[in-house]
Amino acid sequence: MRSSKNKKAWSCFAVAALLSLPVVAGAESEPEDIIKYRQNVMKANGANMGAIAAILQGKVPEYKDRLGDHARGVQAGTKNIPALFPDGSDFGDTEALESVWKDRAGFKKRSDDTSKKADALAKAVAGGDAKAIQARFRELSDSCKACHKDFRKEQQ
Amino acid sequence: MLAGAALLTAALVLPAPPAAASELAKRGEYVYRASGCGNCHTDREAGGAELAGGAALETPFGVFYAPNITPDREHGIGAWSDEDFLRAMREGVSPQGSHYYPAFPYTSYTRLTDEDLRALKAYLFTVSPAARPDRPHELPWYARLRPLLYFWKWLYFEPGPYRPDPQQSPAWNRGAYLATAAAHCGECHTPRDRFGGFDRERRFAGTKDGPEGAVVPNITPDRKTGIGRWSERDIAYYLETGMTPDGDFAGDVMADVIDNGLSHLAKDDLRAIAHYLKSLPAIEHAVSKRKKDKPGKRDEFEY
Repeated sequence: MRSSKNKKAWSCFAVAALLSLPVVAGAESEPEDIIKYRQNVMKANGANMGAIAAILQGKVPEYKDRLGDHARGVQAGTKNIPALFPDGSDFGDTEALESVWKDRAGFKKRSDDTSKKADALAKAVAGGDAKAIQARFRELSDSCKACHKDFRKEQQ
Repeated sequence: MLAGAALLTAALVLPAPPAAASELAKRGEYVYRASGCGNCHTDREAGGAELAGGAALETPFGVFYAPNITPDREHGIGAWSDEDFLRAMREGVSPQGSHYYPAFPYTSYTRLTDEDLRALKAYLFTVSPAARPDRPHELPWYARLRPLLYFWKWLYFEPGPYRPDPQQSPAWNRGAYLATAAAHCGECHTPRDRFGGFDRERRFAGTKDGPEGAVVPNITPDRKTGIGRWSERDIAYYLETGMTPDGDFAGDVMADVIDNGLSHLAKDDLRAIAHYLKSLPAIEHAVSKRKKDKPGKRDEFEY
């Protein structure tokens, strides 16, 4: 008696789970969630960039061994930035300018550049040449700034 | 023959030999970088020629289009004398005697020294002339009454070059000069009252009604709402690279100011600006973000 009730409960659960699976897989996220997600990814990039800058400027000598971790973090976080900006995620609490969606090619070009510069920095850090690291970091910074200039609103 | 005659006249008329003139223009280029002229007077988005007239500057008082300031004699400032130029920059008056709108920040440029103004003009005259006519401003009726600017100036405008404060260090004075005269930081970072004059109580405290509807941050040393937690080195590094201490980057208008101007300045000068900013009174003024409509709201009202 007891076990059949359990079975029933279990099968109900299994059916529900099976039914909901394809729905979940095919569902699209809410724009708000996408915006929140990409802001978090960008925040992580910013946090890693800030950490790298602090190390390179000699502010925190005790953490200089972590340079590689932060560089790899930025590398991962900048891999495909346009994928964070799907259609429909252009209104709501976002600082992205309309140009992100209007000038898709330009946005992709900028983001590819950033990704390439992040790869180069990670490589330089692995190489260990301080001068090269500085130079690659500067190039990556410029790439980030160039993209924010054209595609992100002035913000507090 | 004609060219020869022109050269001869030029040789007679020029007050200084060419070497000194180019020296002056070189100094002027530095003033030009510090002052950011190109950011408003060049329509970069439309690929316009350098200084041939600007993109729209949207303000709460209408849309302004910066005029052509190339040395073109008809459409630019090629026919201006040094005195014309100094008067425009120092008093906000055109050679024809009409008042300029304070969208042109003569309210700050008035503080530039005569030497720097002359050098700046020398540099501007080395840019290629562009025959592009000015685009008229798009203003509400009350702002179109230019003579009213006379009263505006009487209320808000204090002409005259920067006077160093002998109580302060040379670095502080240099920073004050760069920040308030050349770089005219206050034009965007100081909130304005309803008539477009500076809110003097909240100097450099930021505003959400910046140009292009930009949110302009508080740059006083308030620790909560300003940049009080930034060191002088942080500020100088930001002005050079656009990177904040927490790894974010300047965007939009400020990125232009840095790319085309401040990043070209000497490190000592950036440090001087930072030193001056850190000495300002800290003002607690949170500049809130302007929020776009939430998607839900949009549905409610539109459909």
